[in-house]
Amino acid sequence: MSEKESIKTLLKEAEIYRTQGLLADSKAKYVEVLSLIGKNPSFSKNQKLVDGVKSKIRAVDKSLHELKERPDKPELTQDMQSLIKKLFTFSQTKEAAAIEGAVALAKFGQYDKALHEFHLLLEEGILPLVTAKNIVRCYGALKKPEAAAEQFTKWLSRDTFSFDELKQLRSFIIAVLEKEGIEVRLPEVAARPKRAAAAKKGQETFLEISAISIHFQGGPYQSQDLDFEVQFQSANTVTVHVPSSRKEVAEFLAPGTRLDDIQCYSPITVFRSSGTVAGTATIKHGPKQGDFTLDISIDAD
Amino acid sequence: MAIFNAKDRIIECKLVYYGPGRGGKTTNLEYIFKAFNKNTSAEMVSINTMGDRTLFFDFLPIGLGKIRGCEVKIQLYTVPGQTRYRSTRKMVLKGVDGVVFVADSLEVRRKANMLSLRDLADNLKDEGKSIFQIPLVLQYNKRDLAEQGIPLLPVEIIDLDLNNKLKAPYFSASALKGDGVGATLKHALLVTLRQLQKELQWTR
Repeated sequence: MSEKESIKTLLKEAEIYRTQGLLADSKAKYVEVLSLIGKNPSFSKNQKLVDGVKSKIRAVDKSLHELKERPDKPELTQDMQSLIKKLFTFSQTKEAAAIEGAVALAKFGQYDKALHEFHLLLEEGILPLVTAKNIVRCYGALKKPEAAAEQFTKWLSRDTFSFDELKQLRSFIIAVLEKEGIEVRLPEVAARPKRAAAAKKGQETFLEISAISIHFQGGPYQSQDLDFEVQFQSANTVTVHVPSSRKEVAEFLAPGTRLDDIQCYSPITVFRSSGTVAGTATIKHGPKQGDFTLDISIDAD
Repeated sequence: MAIFNAKDRIIECKLVYYGPGRGGKTTNLEYIFKAFNKNTSAEMVSINTMGDRTLFFDFLPIGLGKIRGCEVKIQLYTVPGQTRYRSTRKMVLKGVDGVVFVADSLEVRRKANMLSLRDLADNLKDEGKSIFQIPLVLQYNKRDLAEQGIPLLPVEIIDLDLNNKLKAPYFSASALKGDGVGATLKHALLVTLRQLQKELQWTR
């Protein structure tokens, strides 16, 4: 075979591989053509030929780059997500099937939808420890350690899990995130005071708190008391507003921070308590954009 | 895992098309969908974005009608072939009853074929199954490219590479033209249903 025919054959091969989607093999053939051209002065002087082959290589490189850049598992439509749940649920019992469907969504990379389903299952009390672990796995896959930590802190302040289960969850979160190469700080699981452990959902009412005063034992306001107006309350968790001008307060009061001295003001009394920062968020829209909200779980009294 | 409803005499089973990326798995299903349209109970579902690469799976349900007194329904799936989608392939293989391994006859894909077969064996093992025991048919696809002077592996070589120990039935094919697609599917169904008949003790 003459050199000219070899080049023609290689170009044909390269093009077939490209149309087959075998981009790396296509590029390899074009590079081989360029190398052949380079060895023969009568071909290497043919600038049109050289430019033509280089242009093909650039086009293949562009396709390879686009392939590399696209998300591994893009978000699917609701119909597709429902189909995945239907096709990949094998369990016969309703509860196991519900978990399995949500797990299938996670395995196919539909983490947001899976998280939504797992949270619903947790609220319904379906296999709570299994469900919680799957929630953690989703946050790990999404590389959202702060969300996992925030979630754990919320679980700490609720009665969903026992002391042992919380310890299990804590170790599990650390292990899952370590596997993703992420280090996370989590609050320790303290043994619950008997009065808190005995409190059952829906049976304990909590005083309405209109404002709190936190005594800072460290940080930028050490030894000072700062007052916060309660914006919202759910059971024993109050939400307070921190202006952006006091950003250092929001930064110091990270999720999991223990507050040993909180003065709580309610319409009928003032009392001293302690609590834990359950979550923080930045206000993204509206007149208070840039400010922060803090969720603080007040220990039950 | 096959579902056998003894009361209504319905069998549903799952066949997965496996193989290296760009080998022709989806093309097989597309051909089957077009050719056997009257037997398909629903549309073919393909979850792919950015061109024609399968990112998740293809799904095609087929009704075969009555066989030995039982209504037989088959679910055909393909898996994404690229190396990085291993976890998706594992999911799709759950509950599999039979496998069609679509090998790429191109010389440049020789290693990819072997790696993909190894991947299948490993994933089946994780499912508690053995590649030596599951109903399996091999398809050596893209044979038509020889007409265009593209270097292909001879069938004997692909067979030696992939089938030396398995000794599974194999078919040459060109999924794009439809050659060998029907024969592959027919034989895969035969070996799968034969196995299920034994396991489920399904008799008339």
